[in-house]
Amino acid sequence: MDELTKTLHMQFGYASFRPGQREVAEDVLAGRDVLAMLPTGSGKSLCYQLPAYLLQGSVLIVSPLVSLMEDQVEQLRRRGEKRVIAFHSLLDAEEKWQALASLAKFRFIYASPEMLQSAKFLTALRRVCISLFVVDEAHCISQWGYDFRPDFLKLGEIRRTLGAPPCLALTATAPPEVQEDIIRTLGMDGARRHIYSVDRPNIALRVEHCSSTEDKAARLADYAKRLEGPGIIYFSSRQWAEEMARRLEQRGVGRVAYYHAGMDGEQRLLVQQQFFYGQLDIVCCTSAFGMGVNKENVRFVLHFHMPAQLEAYVQEIGRAGRDGAPSLAVLFYADGDRAIAQAMAEAELLSPRELREWCRRLPEGAGWEAVMAALETAGFTDIQKRLLAYFLEREQRAMPGWLTAEAKERLYGKMAAAIEARRRWKRKKLQEMDEWVHLSSCRRQALVRAFGEELTDRRNVCCDRCGLSLDGYERAVRRPEAAPVRHWREELWDMFFGGGRTNEAAK
Amino acid sequence: MRHGYASFLLAHCLRRFNGERTLAAAYHLFSGKKSAQTLQDSKWFQLEPLFGTWKNVTMTALEAAAAALVEQRLALSAKQRTYTLTAAGEEWFVGQAALFPRHLNGWRYHEAEPLFWQRLSLIGQTLSNLVYGRRFAPICRDERTLQWVKQYLLAKGSRQMLAEALYQELIRLLEAVSEEAAAIFTLRLTSAVRIGWTMEQIAAHLQKDALYVQFQFRNVLHYIMAEAEAGRAPMMAELMSGLTPAVLTQSAQKTYEWLRKGKTVEDIAKLRRLKRSTIEDHVVEIAANVPGFSIAPFVDDEKAAAIRAAAQALRTRKLKEIREALDGKVSYFEIRLVLAKEVGRWTS
Ligand SMILES: [Zn+2]
Repeated sequence: MDELTKTLHMQFGYASFRPGQREVAEDVLAGRDVLAMLPTGSGKSLCYQLPAYLLQGSVLIVSPLVSLMEDQVEQLRRRGEKRVIAFHSLLDAEEKWQALASLAKFRFIYASPEMLQSAKFLTALRRVCISLFVVDEAHCISQWGYDFRPDFLKLGEIRRTLGAPPCLALTATAPPEVQEDIIRTLGMDGARRHIYSVDRPNIALRVEHCSSTEDKAARLADYAKRLEGPGIIYFSSRQWAEEMARRLEQRGVGRVAYYHAGMDGEQRLLVQQQFFYGQLDIVCCTSAFGMGVNKENVRFVLHFHMPAQLEAYVQEIGRAGRDGAPSLAVLFYADGDRAIAQAMAEAELLSPRELREWCRRLPEGAGWEAVMAALETAGFTDIQKRLLAYFLEREQRAMPGWLTAEAKERLYGKMAAAIEARRRWKRKKLQEMDEWVHLSSCRRQALVRAFGEELTDRRNVCCDRCGLSLDGYERAVRRPEAAPVRHWREELWDMFFGGGRTNEAAK
Repeated sequence: MRHGYASFLLAHCLRRFNGERTLAAAYHLFSGKKSAQTLQDSKWFQLEPLFGTWKNVTMTALEAAAAALVEQRLALSAKQRTYTLTAAGEEWFVGQAALFPRHLNGWRYHEAEPLFWQRLSLIGQTLSNLVYGRRFAPICRDERTLQWVKQYLLAKGSRQMLAEALYQELIRLLEAVSEEAAAIFTLRLTSAVRIGWTMEQIAAHLQKDALYVQFQFRNVLHYIMAEAEAGRAPMMAELMSGLTPAVLTQSAQKTYEWLRKGKTVEDIAKLRRLKRSTIEDHVVEIAANVPGFSIAPFVDDEKAAAIRAAAQALRTRKLKEIREALDGKVSYFEIRLVLAKEVGRWTS
């Protein structure tokens, strides 16, 4: 057994690698920069977790989502790894700031991009030997990636500040132009690319064309009732997720809950864990659900609303069938859905009128600080602010000095053009999604083409266009009834003394 | 329930406000706003139990609750978004009084409650899984709690005995609340065999208003915390360690320390580079919360007596009316101090 496999077995308890893992790990260990695109659910994190046990020093992992980071940390700790720490907020507890003094003792250091803005944190990092700089969900770097996060753009600079350690950029969904962006931004020219197909052969694809929203709701309920679970149903609005969860519950579809970012953290974690441990059959949710949900046996993913681009769709359906067993993805479409998706996608963009108004009100003769301050108080949404701040920062370099009337006009022109370019790009992406929905040829072929690939072989089970029977996906036996709720004394007894034993005290 | 629980809670506030405060005051009360005004309101109107007990309340929810009361003719809307209960509303409310969670003490526990619950539920989950010999993902992600629970369990030794002790203590505590409340609380707990239920799930199961379930849950939690503080629940008392609520806000505490060193309001404002009015707010907060704190250095006896008399004669706590009755010879600061002291005496 070679050393890699030995470590895989010892640290992770696996006998063999999944496709891509070994190749990526070997290049990382050889000190090369690597861009790895591995489909969702293929065990991406192993690509840096495994080398971490063979490299000297610490591995720094930058991750866009706090929940994602927490999940990874939690999984590592459960495996018995103690040398792991995560920094996600400038408001972290005092003890954590104290840990900065002894940062080098950690094998895994997770950090949010926000934390990397902190001079104190960076100074502490600079004293540590960083053997690998990992950027998780690296597509967030690209303005042309779905889920663009402007604060990821500074990662290239930060990497240099830390002495340019070898870099591993991980993503599940990056079309060629996004891959280029990642490589350029992180300064990893000459990086080895490990691009694996986005295709997940065990997930069958289907689109249901419906006549109205109500028709969609009825047919979706029908599917939910017939299909073998567990399953996830995506919605673009919180209201619909809640509403549909109620309707499904009423129709006796099984144990259903909803999940969205409007719920408090504890309730969200409860739903996530209930789903994980099989206490729920179906979760109705927004895109907030999924990252970090490592459930292997999800049998179907339904979409009540279509996402605004194929990358998002691929990411979301990728949560089905991680165990490799046959799974199903169905998208429900009705007229008007395109408009909904467009409105959602463009919510981050100001209209020319709003932008003009904002520029007009900027204090003349002021400096850039005033411009940034005006952004804070303008009443824009967070995502609008984030994007505008990014555009502004770009312009700032080109336009130093005071804000004259003429400079304001120029600024408006530049910003309007940037917003317009983004709007056009979003429309193009939506158009691509819409075309995919209305496709008359193989959906799988079209999906991989969008990522610059070709399908090499035909599958037995593919998509509705190639012919797809739902027989194999229907539930064979009735869904188990929810465990009956017993008297609280018995519940409490079970909690501490194990079921099965008779409980005299509770009688 | 024919009326949502929000309407019931709001009616409770409206009764106490007696037309002297708007919906916004109820909003600040529920959300636990740390302004001098809200802190005093909750004292004056004896609404301390509700302080900070509904953190995610929205103005829209309160407006809807008020509208429902008005529509059922249980309340009347007066000018400037104030409401009073009608005779029918009064009768209805008294008939439902049993719905009020009687152990609720938001004033004392709203800050400690989330951490206390995290500790309790995580210890419950951990012990349960140890008993069952299962691995598990913690139901809490807060690093502070994870660390605390780890330390606690390490210091304790025998898990078996600890599980037994926790079980016994919970049984005893839950026996003291209603069957329904005990059931709600138990369903919220996570064990090796069941992930805890969400408020919504419990509400659907019991066919009750989710807000009602939330307040029943909180009622039990506050009861447990009070028992812990009273020394009647040793394990819960350990879980409370470091969480015992401070009587004063941090900033008021500083002001209090300076006052005890003999500084004047003026001095302190300069020292702390704060507005005089902020320091005055602190003094009012101290007067309301610190037993034995004398307001004599700030209001002379004669004025204090006049303010008390005016408040009683007018049966109001409106600062403006009292001030006008006294021909503007007293300041708002003086009135607030006297009233804070009065109410402090009634409730403590
Ligand atoms: Zn096909």
